[in-house]
Amino acid sequence: MKRLIAIVEDEAAIRDNYAAAFTREGYAVRCYADRAQAMAACAARLPDLAVIDISLADEPEGGFELCRQLRALSAELPIIFLTARDSELDAVSGLRLGADDFLTKDLSLAHLTARVHALFRRVDALRRPETASEILQRGPLTLDAERMQAQWDGQVVLLSLTEFWIVHALARHPGHVRNRQQLMDAANVVLDDNTITSHVKRIRRKFQSIDPKFDCVQTVYGMGYRWVE
Amino acid sequence: MSLRLKLLALGLATLVLPWAGCRYAREMEAALREGEQTSLQAVAQTIAASLQGRTDLLYREPQLPSDSAPDTASPEPATTAATPPRDRPAPGPYDLRPLALTAAPLIDGYSDDWPHEPASWKHFSRDPHHDFGILSGVYERMLYVLLEVHDEHPVFDAPGSNWLEPATFGDRVWIGYEDRQGEEHQVFLAASGPGALTARRIESGEYGEQRALIEPRVRGAWQPTKDGYRVEIRLPLSMLGERFGVLVDDRDKRGAAPVSYGSLRSEDLHTLGRLVVAAPELGSYLAQFMQPGMKIAVAAADGHVLAHADALTQARSLGAAPPLLARLYRRFVDRPGAPRYIEARAPIYDRDHGEVIGGLEVTQTADLWLRLRDRALTHMLNFTLGTSIAAVTLMFAFAAWLALRLARLRRASESALTRAGLVTAFPEMTARDELGDVARSFSTLLARLNAYTDYLRTLAGKLAHEIRTPLTIVRSSLENLEAEPAGDAARTYLERARQGSERLNAILLAMGAASRVEEAIGSAERVQFDLVVVLDSAIAAYRSAFPARAFVTELPSDPIMLHGAPDLIVQMLDKLIDNAVDFSTPGATISVRLSLEPGAAVIEVENPGPPLPAHLQGRLFESLWQSRPDGDSRPHFGLGLYIVRLIAEFHGGEATAASLPGEAGVRISVRLPR
Repeated sequence: MKRLIAIVEDEAAIRDNYAAAFTREGYAVRCYADRAQAMAACAARLPDLAVIDISLADEPEGGFELCRQLRALSAELPIIFLTARDSELDAVSGLRLGADDFLTKDLSLAHLTARVHALFRRVDALRRPETASEILQRGPLTLDAERMQAQWDGQVVLLSLTEFWIVHALARHPGHVRNRQQLMDAANVVLDDNTITSHVKRIRRKFQSIDPKFDCVQTVYGMGYRWVE
Repeated sequence: MSLRLKLLALGLATLVLPWAGCRYAREMEAALREGEQTSLQAVAQTIAASLQGRTDLLYREPQLPSDSAPDTASPEPATTAATPPRDRPAPGPYDLRPLALTAAPLIDGYSDDWPHEPASWKHFSRDPHHDFGILSGVYERMLYVLLEVHDEHPVFDAPGSNWLEPATFGDRVWIGYEDRQGEEHQVFLAASGPGALTARRIESGEYGEQRALIEPRVRGAWQPTKDGYRVEIRLPLSMLGERFGVLVDDRDKRGAAPVSYGSLRSEDLHTLGRLVVAAPELGSYLAQFMQPGMKIAVAAADGHVLAHADALTQARSLGAAPPLLARLYRRFVDRPGAPRYIEARAPIYDRDHGEVIGGLEVTQTADLWLRLRDRALTHMLNFTLGTSIAAVTLMFAFAAWLALRLARLRRASESALTRAGLVTAFPEMTARDELGDVARSFSTLLARLNAYTDYLRTLAGKLAHEIRTPLTIVRSSLENLEAEPAGDAARTYLERARQGSERLNAILLAMGAASRVEEAIGSAERVQFDLVVVLDSAIAAYRSAFPARAFVTELPSDPIMLHGAPDLIVQMLDKLIDNAVDFSTPGATISVRLSLEPGAAVIEVENPGPPLPAHLQGRLFESLWQSRPDGDSRPHFGLGLYIVRLIAEFHGGEATAASLPGEAGVRISVRLPR
């Protein structure tokens, strides 16, 4: 049975293009133009993944509300925000509502589908019993590439997909400087300097909320970041 | 000419007020004088009319019983024809015309209390050795006579002798007169020594004997002079009629035959001359019209003054001297040569209004109305000068205040352009006058300009945002198309379209850069960091990023700790280096210097290249301003240095640009306070 992806997007052309791309990848796709439609359909049958735009038709923040409602329906449903809005505030709000990733529409379809695959992989991994195959251990840090889950001192750090990939890229080769381009490639994303910076900032904050002394992600000014043990 | 001076000049124009006031005072004075003249003329005519036909008063002629009062009510010729005018005899050589004296001379034989009027003397002579001068005058009801007799040998009467014994006769002075009834009388004065004289008249006694009786009404005095003697006589006018004469008997020795001459016929002592004198009542009649500062004189037809009443000098003593200020003012108003008196003349006619019997002259001193004018002038000049001074002061103060407000407005408008945009709060905005309107207009204008600038500043970001959706459609469509089967030619076009959309995307990113930086600044966290370390590592990155440029650094060895956002500092540095690279040629050396100034760290980035265009000075750090060489294919929106400025200002610092000495390049400095 094909996995079902719900696309909630008020711009018909974009919606159809995304639908075409996902269909090509072998997913079943349902498209909705506004929140009411999407909510009604999702309540009837929960999709396997939702791609949501923030501003929906006449609701500038309709995506956030939809995300909240979907999250209420299911805690495990992967939700990706895909929006033309790239403000830091929107990203923080979206991720705080429980979105798994916050992407801007600059993202290529290839990157988007890579993410969708990754998210489905994670869903599958979470359902399977734990295996130690793809575990990366760096001191207190444990990265489960399969489940895309990070743990610090045994505690789960809730990272978005982009954040996880960034941490993963850094921690795989401790001490090596990863420049912005490398990080973007690893995260399957196109981001500008400030967005990378804010991602790194968020990553640090999330680790620091568990361990206030966390200082493993170091800025190498002008170059990039590196993982220090 | 400043506003202050202009308004001062305007204020000085009010000085025309006192000037006009002076002119007005002069005209007022002239009008007053004219009015006074007219009224004085009226007074003169009234008095003259009241004296019409009063020959009894003027010439002591007996009044006609039928017509005792001045008849001005019936001037018809018919009535006057009934009472034909009395023939007044023509003036004769013996007539005496007494002066109207202003004071009574003392009867002492000396002439120094007489007025000095040589023209009024009358001279009688017999031969060159015998002559006398006579001066007469009237004061109140007395006639005074002064005789200056030329006599080489004055001879006194023998004292204590019989006055009628010819052998004792010395020089004698006879006075002949007619009394009011027309009877002639004579008295003689004989001196037996200097001093008082007694007058005597000769009367025939009961038995024909003659007696020399003392005439007590006549008083006299005798004094010798260097060529003769002087006799002063006083007699009441009441005893005198129309005729009067004086005769001098000059004897060479006592008892000799006299040489007689004078205005009496020497044979029978008949009075030859007339006494032309007004009635004593005329003086008191005139006095009733008198006022201080006035003089009334009645003259005979020939101009001889018959009587006068004089109070001219009385007015002067009235009131104190005018105050200093008034005297000063008067200098501006007085015209030299303006008469201090006004005069009016009126003829006195006889009863039937046919003949002029005399003239009336009224003189009034100008003091009275001069004082009036002075008082009005002083008040007016005080008032107008005060007004002028007040006006000038007020205008000057107003001008100063206005200039101050304008200067404040000017300063405010000059400093309205700040880094943070245009200041819209202006002084004077609450003022309700035109200046307030100007300030409010300024404010409105600047607010609109601000909005416009804001719009421009955010335009790039908004545009980027708006273009993003259609671009996404294009890109996602292209990506879908790539998944579809297509020929090689189609693939080529597809690749071109994809490249085009990538470039569009890059443009969008560049356009939104400023707003993203602004956002980043909004959420930036400040930490304590070492600027030296940050710069050092960043420049190492630039060396590898821009291998075609050489980088020279001058960094202090000691750490420079700064409280701020190192990420932003690096971004700022990125923009500075980008800028330096863009404006220099490959192989050029870019120098980065970090130095410590009191209270601030200064980052300087220098690159060889074209100097700053002069017109860009000060605008270089504004949004959307750029001066790029043509042929640069990368998208630029002039946001690089704007971002530098934003980040410098976030750190409380400022960015400045200057051409290098010799126009060899550009140096951009960023001052970051510590």
